[in-house]
Amino acid sequence: MKNNRILLENVNLHYASVAYKERSLKSLMASVFSRKKTASNVADIHALKNISVEIKSGERVGLLGHNGAGKSTFLKTVAGLYPVSSGLLKVEGQVRSLFDLSLGFEPDATGRENILYRGLLLGLSPRFMREKADEIVAFAGLGEFIDYPIKTYSAGMQVRLAFAISTTVGGDILLLDEVIGAGDANFMAKAKERITSLIEQAEILVLATHDFGALRSICNRGLVFHHGDLVFDGPCDEAVAEYKVINGLD
Amino acid sequence: MLSYFSRVWAARYFWIHLSLADLRSRWRRSFFGMTWSIIQPLGLTLLLTLVFSRLFNTDIVTYAPYILSGIIVWEYISANTVAGSLSFVQADAYIKQCNHPLAIYTLRTVVGSAIVLMLASISLYGWVAVVLPQNIGWSWLASFTIFPILALIAWPVSTLLSYVSTRFRDIPHALGLVMQSLWFVSPVYFEAKMFQNGGLHALVDYNPIYHLLQLIRAPLLQGQWPTWQNYAFSIGTAIFFGALAIIIGSKAERKVIFYL
Repeated sequence: MKNNRILLENVNLHYASVAYKERSLKSLMASVFSRKKTASNVADIHALKNISVEIKSGERVGLLGHNGAGKSTFLKTVAGLYPVSSGLLKVEGQVRSLFDLSLGFEPDATGRENILYRGLLLGLSPRFMREKADEIVAFAGLGEFIDYPIKTYSAGMQVRLAFAISTTVGGDILLLDEVIGAGDANFMAKAKERITSLIEQAEILVLATHDFGALRSICNRGLVFHHGDLVFDGPCDEAVAEYKVINGLD
Repeated sequence: MLSYFSRVWAARYFWIHLSLADLRSRWRRSFFGMTWSIIQPLGLTLLLTLVFSRLFNTDIVTYAPYILSGIIVWEYISANTVAGSLSFVQADAYIKQCNHPLAIYTLRTVVGSAIVLMLASISLYGWVAVVLPQNIGWSWLASFTIFPILALIAWPVSTLLSYVSTRFRDIPHALGLVMQSLWFVSPVYFEAKMFQNGGLHALVDYNPIYHLLQLIRAPLLQGQWPTWQNYAFSIGTAIFFGALAIIIGSKAERKVIFYL
């Protein structure tokens, strides 16, 4: 049993508003010389408010929330992309994330070549990727299309390939952001099987989704976000119910 | 800081792949492919030499490799400053997805342009070996030191510029102007003695670009070892920018993602 875990204690995250204002030297100078309060009142965005969560090995966590509630920010913070403004963030284990699927794919290269490229993006060695290539090809199940350039692929096919790569190369913590919905029913069944087997290897999965069905069948714990606050932490069914109440659904 | 560089090393397959992918796309579907990197500076050299050797009454045989060395090194410098300053902006999709150290995205430009520089310098070595065979000697070994030293300057400089230009998108535009002025006051195409005869010693003696160019010019064009001043200025520049990049980077690195 590996000892992977994600621990957040009172984590706050602000998007600095300067990033959205003063984009040029001109506007910076202008604000210095005019001494006038700029009309825009873009404030710092408090994207995560005092979040405390502990996720242990073997948990499959689903993130729920309206658009802009902080699901993706939560995932990207855990992935170490965003610096926290305050609080403690501890991630033990190798993180694999799946946020932007077209990323790391070279449209002119074939699917098989792209398996290698994406592996390199994830920080793996070419030799390791060549060993795993056949397994990935088999799981993606793209048939002869694996030797066609990526630009001929449909969105669903890209998802299948990306998902196959990210779940085959291992890693202890898998972060998914609303991506698995794009595969067809056949692939979804395979994906669920794969995720289940990942869990058996005592790995952590965190998934942001709006698909309650996928959430119920894959996850065993739900977190509900609302305007940057973590408002619910518990079993999936209750989380879905809570989400619906907060957002005034049914 | 050591852990930062070990993370750069851990991601080595990725940035090497990126540099090679850049080069592949640069030469894709062209008949001459990578030979363009050799043909292009050679053609420009021929043209400039014809004009300048008449204008300045210089010996065409020695002036042509002088210009060629200037062209290829300057191309490397401008690739890593003007184009290099956009490294983070260009790599935003990667930065938003993977927690790699940001310096690998400037390293990508450094490595790619270094390969182009080495290819282009083949024609320089070839040319000099044919027209100035008396210069061939042990001092040529010193000419190879320009490659690592240039890279050690280009990497921190382009990283620094990238931090700043991600925040202020005017920088890449302004840099075009700055680099052009820098070119104008440096002995890149114009001979160093032209500056010195004009009473502009300082533009040569304290100009790191002059000293850098001497690392390859002294052995190839004069058959001499570069002086210790040449090395002191070149390595000093590398250390200065290296230290600055580490200081700025330790503050700016994590915030870059907000500005993309």
